[in-house]
Amino acid sequence: MALLEVRDLQVSFDTPDGVVRAVRGLSFDVERGSTLAVVGESGSGKSVATQTITGLTRGAKIAGSANFDGTELIGADLQTLRKIRGAQIGMIFQDPLSSLHPYYTVGWQIVEMIQAHDHSTSKAAARKRAAHLLTLVGIPRAESRIDDYPHQFSGGMRQRVMIAMAMALNPALLIADEPTTALDVTVQAQVLGVMRTLQEEFGTAIILITHDLGVVAEMSDEVVVMYAGLVMERAPRRTLFYRHHHPYTEGLLASLPAKGSPGERLTPIAGSPPSLIRLPKGCPFAPRCRYAFDKCRTETPPLATVFGDDSHQSACWLSVDELVREGQRSASYEKEATA
Amino acid sequence: MSESSGDPGPLVSPQDNAPAAQDSTREEPLVRVEHLSKAFPVQSTSLFRRSHEFVHAVDDVSLDVHPGETLGLVGETGCGKSTLARCIARLYDLTNGSVIFDGRDISTLSRREMRPLRREIQMIFQDPYGSLNPRRRVGSIIGDPLVIHGIDSRSERKAKVQDLMELVGLNPEHYNRFPSEFSGGQRQRIGTARALALRPRMIVCDEPVSALDVSVQAQIINLLKDLQQEFGLTYLFISHDLSVIRHVSDRIAVMYLGRIVEVAPSAELFTNSRHPYTRALLSALPIADPDAADHRESIVLVGDIPSPTNPPSGCRFHTRCPKARPDCVRTDPMLEQAHDDGAGHLTACLHPLADGEDLSLAKPQIEDSEILMTPTPGQLTGPEGTS
Repeated sequence: MALLEVRDLQVSFDTPDGVVRAVRGLSFDVERGSTLAVVGESGSGKSVATQTITGLTRGAKIAGSANFDGTELIGADLQTLRKIRGAQIGMIFQDPLSSLHPYYTVGWQIVEMIQAHDHSTSKAAARKRAAHLLTLVGIPRAESRIDDYPHQFSGGMRQRVMIAMAMALNPALLIADEPTTALDVTVQAQVLGVMRTLQEEFGTAIILITHDLGVVAEMSDEVVVMYAGLVMERAPRRTLFYRHHHPYTEGLLASLPAKGSPGERLTPIAGSPPSLIRLPKGCPFAPRCRYAFDKCRTETPPLATVFGDDSHQSACWLSVDELVREGQRSASYEKEATA
Repeated sequence: MSESSGDPGPLVSPQDNAPAAQDSTREEPLVRVEHLSKAFPVQSTSLFRRSHEFVHAVDDVSLDVHPGETLGLVGETGCGKSTLARCIARLYDLTNGSVIFDGRDISTLSRREMRPLRREIQMIFQDPYGSLNPRRRVGSIIGDPLVIHGIDSRSERKAKVQDLMELVGLNPEHYNRFPSEFSGGQRQRIGTARALALRPRMIVCDEPVSALDVSVQAQIINLLKDLQQEFGLTYLFISHDLSVIRHVSDRIAVMYLGRIVEVAPSAELFTNSRHPYTRALLSALPIADPDAADHRESIVLVGDIPSPTNPPSGCRFHTRCPKARPDCVRTDPMLEQAHDDGAGHLTACLHPLADGEDLSLAKPQIEDSEILMTPTPGQLTGPEGTS
């Protein structure tokens, strides 16, 4: 059994403008010790989904199930959630400064976190462990820096503190929501390195939410691509980059500046993502899709196995046969070239 | 190609009163930056005493931008790239040095004297939400530069603004809408139309695509490229995203802590970087290609950028440089040709990397190196007593 099994998760919010359907039927598994990357643009529902799993979306209408190691998280009472959050599921967010309390030293905050879940630990022991954790995530002179306040750390160092805190109780799952988006590339490389080493050492499973396909290529084992609250494609890392099926994945990869040679025109996806209040009928990507045909605009395609590969699924009406799909691809590009 | 000869309106070219430029626009840079420095005073903690500390955001930078080219400016947060760009556009006054635009020194011009020149240098900003007034209609935002410079009557203006909207891929019928009715990508198009309104010769693009999603980012990059070809624009393009910079730039300048550490033609910088910082920066870029990501040289820089209030002595990168030698602590390197590089490739390093040299094997030979003080993540015993 997988560590986390999410089935048909649906999340919507009532707003004055109408109902925002942020997540519309999301299913995925996270295996122990592996990294699942959830990719998508802003508004694709990737953050809302994981926040819902940890009970952080107050006021939302939620349906579906999320089974974590035998415990159902959706609809669980606060006590159960409190026991799991922090201790068994660690979380880090994009902005480390707003995740840390400015009035307390980082050591105090890590100690509080350890003691809240593990009452038997003495303050001195917890403090020792905090210092050790800070060394573990690569903070120089951790013994003295433990008494520093968050503002005395740089962005990258704060994110390390957050990782230290999230890992303090050796959780089975770490949810990292855009952990390096606010950081510079060299610092991003440091932080990703820390996450990778800790995963190897402690066998932690990671859900990595990101919009950066470069980070996905470096970190993930499996990838889920989301668009307008739906999963468009799910595949192991190499399959997603080299044998993708869904036109949205294709479009995302093609629009990367690194793909084209310098100076050439890029191939962007036309248009912009749909409003989550007035979603189009059928496939949400159809209005921007180069392959869209009549069926796409009336019926929403289910997530189905493609290319005869059980680990690879795509929500698209295009052929699931690799040769036929390849033919559709080249025909579409030829048509565009002649037009 | 490099000249926007089809300039509309009664445009007084600054060339007329610039004796230095003459007719050799091809060789003459459009912008020449000489020994530019910009320091900001650090806010004093005392109400009555002025602070004597300064943040040296840009320190002694010299740089040329040629007409019709895109010069990319990369660097991490706080390296001074935006400050440098704003000094060039004269949004900031310079502390030292000069900016010569089309043969004319503009670094000491007053606001009033600067005004006609504003038509020549425009800016596109990063935040498509913060850079447009939410209470004004799109048509009047784009038309503002025309009003300020007194170009066209009201009726002509509307036609012109609608032309501009069409040019950047907006529906001209949306003339009366408010910015909030547009998506991030469309707002960046509005900002671009505003910058284009006066048909400038140079546009400073300060992280124009950083706030956009990848699929939309590509649309804006294409748009900027098309406009450059159509109007012969010169771009100073700032980004922290190396893959974007590589795609758009003809030449790239890499900044670190207020200094340019390396400048080279785009392709050469990526294949044959000389400065250890450039090399480390390039290796930190995540590649969206699993095979390439698995087999590549990766140099993880330790530590953070030192404070620009009190930068390290000698070479500013020496505290984090894997190749640091004792002379790096003492001597401030000049920007010059390294090894057998061409005249267009300059590096500020005392020990520039040779062709094919492996930086990951280098060990610093100085005492105050952060590399020697930083613990390696994870390579210790596990946390004792984990439940």
